[in-house]
Amino acid sequence: MSTQPETASSDRTETLTVREAIRAALREEMEQDEDVFVMGEDVGKFGGVLDVTDGLFEQFGGERVRDTPISEAGFVGAGVGAAATGSRPVVEVMFSDFLGVSGEQIMNQMAKMRYMFGGKIEMPVTIRTTEGGGMGAASQHSGTPHTWFAHFPGLKAVTPGTPAAAKGLLKSAIRSNDPVFFFENKMMYEQSGEVPTDPGYTLPIGEASVEREGEDVTVVATQRLVGESLDVAEDLAGETSVEVIDVRSLYPLDTDTLADSIRKTGRMVVADESPISYGVHAEIVTRMVENEFFSLDAPLQRVGVPDTHIPFSSPLEDEVVPDGDDVRDAISQVV
Amino acid sequence: MAAPTIGLLVNPAAGRDVRRLTGGATVSDTYGKRRAAECVLAGVGLADDPVDVVVAPDGGEIGQRTVAEADRSNVRLLDVAVGGTSADTHRAAAAFRERVDAVVVFGGDGTTRDLAIEIGDVPLLAVSTGTNNVVPTPVDGTVAGAAAAFLATGAVDADDATYRHTMIEARVDDGRSIRGLATVGVVDQSFVGTRAVLDPDDFLGGGVSRAARGEVGLSGVAGALTRVDPDDGRGVALELDADAERSVTAITVPGVVERVGVAGWSHLDPGDERVFAVEEAVVSVDGERELEVQNAEIGVRPVPDGPRLVDFDAVFEAAPLAADAHAVERR
Amino acid sequence: MSSISIEDTDGRREILRRMLTIREFDSTAGDLFADGEIPGFVHLYIGEEAVAVGACAALDEEDYITSTHRGHGHCIAKGLDPNRMMAELFGRRDGYCNGKGGSMHIADVEANMLGANGIVGAGPPLATGAALTSQFKGEDRIALAFLGDGAVAQGQVHEAINLAATWDLPAVFLVENNHFGEGTPADEQHNIENLSETAESYNIPGFTVDGMDVTAVNEAVAEARERARNGEGPTLIEADTYRYRGHFEGDPEPYRDEEDVKHWQERDPIDTFAERLIDRGDLTEAELEEMRSEIAAEIEAAVEYARDADLPDPSEAYDDMFGEPVPEIEEFASRLRADGAGGDSR
Ligand SMILES: Cc1ncc(C[n+]2csc(CCOP(=O)(O)OP(=O)(O)O)c2C)c(N)n1
Ligand SMILES: [Mg+2]
Repeated sequence: MSTQPETASSDRTETLTVREAIRAALREEMEQDEDVFVMGEDVGKFGGVLDVTDGLFEQFGGERVRDTPISEAGFVGAGVGAAATGSRPVVEVMFSDFLGVSGEQIMNQMAKMRYMFGGKIEMPVTIRTTEGGGMGAASQHSGTPHTWFAHFPGLKAVTPGTPAAAKGLLKSAIRSNDPVFFFENKMMYEQSGEVPTDPGYTLPIGEASVEREGEDVTVVATQRLVGESLDVAEDLAGETSVEVIDVRSLYPLDTDTLADSIRKTGRMVVADESPISYGVHAEIVTRMVENEFFSLDAPLQRVGVPDTHIPFSSPLEDEVVPDGDDVRDAISQVV
Repeated sequence: MAAPTIGLLVNPAAGRDVRRLTGGATVSDTYGKRRAAECVLAGVGLADDPVDVVVAPDGGEIGQRTVAEADRSNVRLLDVAVGGTSADTHRAAAAFRERVDAVVVFGGDGTTRDLAIEIGDVPLLAVSTGTNNVVPTPVDGTVAGAAAAFLATGAVDADDATYRHTMIEARVDDGRSIRGLATVGVVDQSFVGTRAVLDPDDFLGGGVSRAARGEVGLSGVAGALTRVDPDDGRGVALELDADAERSVTAITVPGVVERVGVAGWSHLDPGDERVFAVEEAVVSVDGERELEVQNAEIGVRPVPDGPRLVDFDAVFEAAPLAADAHAVERR
Repeated sequence: MSSISIEDTDGRREILRRMLTIREFDSTAGDLFADGEIPGFVHLYIGEEAVAVGACAALDEEDYITSTHRGHGHCIAKGLDPNRMMAELFGRRDGYCNGKGGSMHIADVEANMLGANGIVGAGPPLATGAALTSQFKGEDRIALAFLGDGAVAQGQVHEAINLAATWDLPAVFLVENNHFGEGTPADEQHNIENLSETAESYNIPGFTVDGMDVTAVNEAVAEARERARNGEGPTLIEADTYRYRGHFEGDPEPYRDEEDVKHWQERDPIDTFAERLIDRGDLTEAELEEMRSEIAAEIEAAVEYARDADLPDPSEAYDDMFGEPVPEIEEFASRLRADGAGGDSR
């Protein structure tokens, strides 16, 4: 169930990298809604340490593209307070490993305020943050903690696997009146693809996308592993017919699209770059077992990080950061 | 003729050195300094004639913020470069000399000295931001602003309310020289280090341009032996030695009253010089270590042509009654 | 007892040597990064050498330090071995963290160096904790936390200082104010100029020293250490300094111009100290040159050492997660190892 709104101008696309797609989403939403503003460390004049917000300061000025001190507890919390009072902040936390610093405001304020106040407030805050290993950044700059946020009641979490998903989901996240965590895998910024140009283009939060249809096995992937799984599917074509789904949204999770697929293939590999135990994989597997137990033809497989942190040295990092080969091996276990 | 103008300079770094750890010196914070600067702007209103204020920018942006927040056309920022060092004070002083009628400075002895070196004959209203000072007066910013305005407008004649503060100079035989406002010291240490002289026992000797019992540091030690007013044009040379037979009680640093061994002392008249020969020492001025010297002779002598410092009490003694005083009925 | 005494000639020469070693190590690391031999993030300490060396010389070997993402200087100042540091930068098994940490995480607990840190502001709470151990066990050692000006905006830093102040812990917090946190000037991150002013809120002494002058830092830390050991609690010192290189290697530095850097280089901490030692007769020009070439050789040897050292075996990725191994990881390891699908095959 790939979801592209059927409007005439949405047919037009341009080739963008993930970085450009995110930047375009920010720009368009800031142009459309003056309540939207961006804040974070070096997002303004510097253009973001990974260049994502480059040019926004020049276009919108320092009030709306706001450089913060190194105070994640303070400015994430300020994002919560601003969202509760009618602003629509997009807060960048440079590396998701730093989310720990802002833990309190996320767990007890952002996630709970609407509920505790009996639904009297909106919480239109978006947290953008980077995740993932692969660049020798070592344990404190390579983590993938998205499970924590998908797990925590009251928070939504999305993990785009393509430039189009990145743009569409970020625009929806900004427009949403709920807190949405937008997780960017930092190895994907240069990945390019076709992205709709229509400023009205969005993708609904809570829908997965079948990126490649197949008959024998379903690979349910997130982020970088979507692209790598598509490559594997291409390699195996003729031998094994692999269906590849980009989960896109961890919470809410599109159980139906996954269930439809496994009903067809009977086999599933869940590939997500996060620690395996108690994770995203477990949730997806559980939903399949609950909903499609009688469609299953083989044990479900998990591809993820083997419950370690991400080490610095490349032989070690390569060992624990999952990739297409791990997906291929997992497929070979079940077909 | 241009409107009467006063200059204002705040040293953001004053009152923030290591003496806050080792002694009883009080701390001076940025917020307090900023408020004091704002008070000066209010204080100038006590004079009958309008007064312009030119504020020096500083590394702590205290001056810049004062101007921005004042948002008044008679308050302007001095157009000089800022580097965050004492050179800022020198630059500001040189610019002030050309165009203001009086200068209010917030800082300690060091700041006042930095200003004094370039300020020429412009009356200097030195306001202390801490306790560890000899020269500046601890006075409210509003009062300082009012005094400056009386002088700048001519309501009070500067000759009636200022005095020429003698300076004291140390000349090293390698050609280097340095001037202190109140004191120069020869310190038994190797390095400039944190600048502050932490242990008064380290003084081998020095010279002062003023001596009074109630002063802190070398001028207080000299003050235990004699009295020299800052405008006497003279100085006192001190030779100190913890093991000397004779000692005097003095306030050596804030919070410390102790006995200081004095091996000898003498008055220094203009032209007199006392020479200290050392293997290794640091020359301090106004309580701060400045020059490292080895195998040197250091000549210490008074220099009479120091800055014109304002005596606050004298200003208000000479200040006129309010212009509208007559309108108020006397009962 | 301080580890290196600035009072004697040998001590002064050692201080100079360590500053020169930091500069050489970091210039070399910068080149190796540019050549692609060192991966990841590398933050160089060049320009700030007087802070680490001045501080560590005033400490005893038993005293703890915590460091930052810009940690090479702290390591060398604390006496760590450039060979094993370089090996860590190269991700070798022989590195201080067996290749798991890299530049941003070098630690040597045996030297009481409790780690560089990838999290800005995370060191001070650890130093407070180390100082707590010292107080708790009745020991005579102190803990010193290095932190950046940017870190002063972190909540946990203030909580750590408040704890240490309230409990009179033997700690020293040393702010390296190099005037930038990444690309943002310190005055856009703080409403005060002197970051040492924060001390007043905790009722402890705070003051600012010239961080380009090793003698100033040394004296200040020595005083603060005495105070800590006397049970009088922590001190906050701000050292005014500057980094000559970008925030990280590869930083395009749009936020400043070369003139600013040159301005600070005029007061270079190494050149000025070397000059003073020569003036005093502690060292001749020739000896200085000799010292420089010895250090250059030492660092070159460290690079060779690191290049020749073994990379860790991929299986080592599973080690060190716990003191007592868990079956989960053993299971994942054996599965991944069996099918050879670890990263080797990539
Ligand atoms: C909690 C946290 N937030 C942000 C970062 C990203 N980051 C790394 S270094 C740095 C700047 C730190 O500035 P400062 O403390 O002044 O140290 P300097 O780099 O100047 O030595 C930032 C923002 C981080 N590592 N940790
Ligand atoms: Mg900094």
